[in-house]
Amino acid sequence: MTKWMTIAKHEFSYNVRRKEFLFVTFGLPIFMLAIMGIPILLMSVSISHEEYRIGYVDRTGSFEPLNFTGYPDEETARKELLEGKITHFFVIPPDYRSTGKINIFSTNRTLSGTVDDKIRDFMLENLLKGQKIDLVERIKDPMHSEYFILNEKGETGEDGFSALLVSIAFALFFMLSIFTSSNFLLQGVVEEKENRVIEILLSSVSYRELLIGKIFGLGAVGLTQIIVWSMIGAGLLFSNPLVFSILVERMHVSFALLVFALGFFILGFLVFASLMAGVGAVSTTTREGQQMAGIFSIIGAIPLIFSQFILMYPDAILTTALAYFPLTSPITMIMLLSIGEVQFHELMISVLILTFSTLLIIELSVKIFRVSLLMYGKKPTIGEMIKYVRES
Amino acid sequence: MENTVEVSHVSKSFNGQSVVRDISFDIASGEVFGLIGPNGAGKTTIIRMLLDIMRPDSGEIRILDAADEIKDMIGYLPEDRGLYRRLTIMDTLMYLGALKNRQSKERTLELLDKMGMLSNRDMKISELSKGMQQKIQIIAAICHDPGFIILDEPFSGLDPVNMKLVKDLIIQLGKEGKTILISTHMMDQVERMCDRILMIHKGSGVLYGSVGEIKSRFGKNTIFLEFEGQLENIAGVKKINYSGNYAELILEEGADAQNVLKNIVSMVRVNKFEISMPSLNEIFIQVVEGS
Repeated sequence: MTKWMTIAKHEFSYNVRRKEFLFVTFGLPIFMLAIMGIPILLMSVSISHEEYRIGYVDRTGSFEPLNFTGYPDEETARKELLEGKITHFFVIPPDYRSTGKINIFSTNRTLSGTVDDKIRDFMLENLLKGQKIDLVERIKDPMHSEYFILNEKGETGEDGFSALLVSIAFALFFMLSIFTSSNFLLQGVVEEKENRVIEILLSSVSYRELLIGKIFGLGAVGLTQIIVWSMIGAGLLFSNPLVFSILVERMHVSFALLVFALGFFILGFLVFASLMAGVGAVSTTTREGQQMAGIFSIIGAIPLIFSQFILMYPDAILTTALAYFPLTSPITMIMLLSIGEVQFHELMISVLILTFSTLLIIELSVKIFRVSLLMYGKKPTIGEMIKYVRES
Repeated sequence: MENTVEVSHVSKSFNGQSVVRDISFDIASGEVFGLIGPNGAGKTTIIRMLLDIMRPDSGEIRILDAADEIKDMIGYLPEDRGLYRRLTIMDTLMYLGALKNRQSKERTLELLDKMGMLSNRDMKISELSKGMQQKIQIIAAICHDPGFIILDEPFSGLDPVNMKLVKDLIIQLGKEGKTILISTHMMDQVERMCDRILMIHKGSGVLYGSVGEIKSRFGKNTIFLEFEGQLENIAGVKKINYSGNYAELILEEGADAQNVLKNIVSMVRVNKFEISMPSLNEIFIQVVEGS
């Protein structure tokens, strides 16, 4: 095993045991599930345990009860509601046909949507009395829309909706993973400087081997995180056949998109990781390093802030600039790829700029590493750094 | 004898400030060599240049003739100590050994046993006392069985028991034929262990040669005294370095040691009186004051 591989292996096993890694990797999906799942769960529990019994008072004299209970006057309905015989009742006023207004009464707050839907169906069925049942059903649920996009070759492409969703989800997860693992790299370098292990390491390996080993080890940490999240996501989908079937029907994520997304993830990680290594080398404490790294993280997050703009105006100058600038291109390109708005030459230019910048930043970081790594407690100024890099 | 290290006219400066100035020395294979001088003299910078952690501004450094990766043949105990706090002793030592491409579990266990730490091998570094961590660092420097060992301030922070343990280990490594470079500001600690020394001051070499040769160059003008009582001004004595009930007396030129003894006996009770060559510490002070 070569030395950078030994370092990569060590960095991987050291960092996947970190509490922060375990928290972000496993805690985040649990947290998100809790945020999204608990209200749904509560809703389903309350619906399944409580059957809505709805009554009405018809002042127009034209409504049939169907599965609701009709009351001759409001007084009786109020009494029955207070006694708990019904959960809701509504009053249809004489001028309903011109105003459409009804008043709904209940003893506690309810998720109005569910009751509304039931009352809406009741109203529709009464209003369309005498019409064919399939027409009534169609009016209740008039359209299932699906978008198609025409491209230059005249063929119809896929609906952009699912890709849009995928693009934002991809971008979010990749960004989170890139930032988490490159932040580990930053912390690792500063920690090794603080606890002086760096000097033992440098007595065994070159600066380049150390940096490359760290980048690959932590890249593997980031990929592990993505794999864990994907597995949790897939597990949830398979465990819920209804959601799964809807997704399979609506999502058309191509294999090429996945490959390119992964490629941009790797390149994006390399750019940020080598930057963080450079930041770590010039920082004297973890806190100072994180403050400096924050600037790069904010720049990296710009595509997410502008996600709506990027997706609406894929040909705008700002979008193009974000797609080519190395710190913003990984996320921007993932978004653009997922809506199919990338020409081959644009893709190539972005990949080339990103690859070239990565190599340049790694080279610069090695130099910065060499000149500033052993300056404990002293942070070089930008001027000093430029001078050192030139000298070396 | 073949040289393990050859340093020729090496200089290094930081921010225009000269830290190492035109240093030249060599270390023969199997030699125990002392790089001595006060804190800030430039010792650690010289070591970092030997290890290629830093490059000299000018001059040349040649280490070993081995075709193998040179860094793998060197064991290094840095002055600034530190280890991965969340790793166990064994994981730490195996990782650092692997980085030298010469990982040996057997030798690592043997050294842990020798240092009395075999039963602690699964403990995390954060659970160890400072002294224990020091011992682990020393093991880390030699567990890959290097031919050339660099020990930067190996005795700092050690209690007397552990200091003896480390001294014995260095002596044994020397007997095994290892080339050893000890860098320290505690000059008296190494004068009995080193074959030759390079004494540096403000980045420049001030003395270079075998310990005996250097000492004899400064003559037998020193008295080591163990006493009880209070010493006053003594005729014929230029300077007194006190250390509790011990003192190192530097004689004036031409002073008679017998007369000095008579004067001392009249002041204090004498338990030990030894006419000797000056200590390296005293020689250093004389050289620095003289320059």
